[in-house]
Amino acid sequence: MAEQPLKILDYDKLEIGEELGSYEYVLTQEMLDNYRQSIDDPDAAFPTLAVKHDGTALNMVYNDTTGGVNAGNEVEFFNPPAPGKKIFVKGRIADKYLRRDKPYLVIEATAVDEDGNLLERLKTYQMKKPDEVGKKWHPQA
Amino acid sequence: MASTSIEIGAEIPSVTKSVTTASILQFESCAIIDRENIHNNEELAKERLGTTYTLASGRMSIAFASESMRKFFGSDVFHHTGSVNLKFLRPVKNGDTVTVTGKVTSQRQVDQGTEIVVELECHNQKQDRTAAGIGTAIV
Repeated sequence: MAEQPLKILDYDKLEIGEELGSYEYVLTQEMLDNYRQSIDDPDAAFPTLAVKHDGTALNMVYNDTTGGVNAGNEVEFFNPPAPGKKIFVKGRIADKYLRRDKPYLVIEATAVDEDGNLLERLKTYQMKKPDEVGKKWHPQA
Repeated sequence: MASTSIEIGAEIPSVTKSVTTASILQFESCAIIDRENIHNNEELAKERLGTTYTLASGRMSIAFASESMRKFFGSDVFHHTGSVNLKFLRPVKNGDTVTVTGKVTSQRQVDQGTEIVVELECHNQKQDRTAAGIGTAIV
């Protein structure tokens, strides 16, 4: 993806359906091994989870100075990625909404390999008031 | 591979994982963009969340739940038709032990076969629920 200046993420200006970054990379055996070791699962097949396709797509377009807390993930698996092959990723803003006065942003990324095989679709539900979550975890703070 | 005669209430294999600072950082190192966040930078976690520690990415729990699901359905099924959907309820951090459990709650016919729905939960060593949701696979 061509280098472009990052936009400051303004939640109110985000549009549902808006495209985020598109990019490609080669999955290496080292990346797969590193992932498997990190989760202590020698048979894990989707290191793409830790690559964080959707978050990467967001961070290629926006400078998110607020941050967010990952409130949830949805992942669908279609085909395991193969080391040595290119992975193409497209991201978009799938949704945004308020719940209990807290703003949520849903980002989504779809990954396809160089042979056109659909690999994975990942959604992340970010709560964009991370300090609120901190208060909930540490009410005395 | 699981058969289509999976019973409602069947339990999937539980998976227990020790989460350490090393495993949290190693998971973060799999990213293709080198970026500081609440998982790898204690100061940032303190600034944004008020915590005194970094948090494990919720995606680690997704990976743990995926392992449980794969062990039940088999990789031939789960890696091609599987899904995991979790809400994160409490932080997971260095020193925690996360256990994933799940049981089959429903099934329905879909074009490709029978979709099995598994209710998933993650608990820490204090038996606090850290995540909950569902997983699915088509057999």
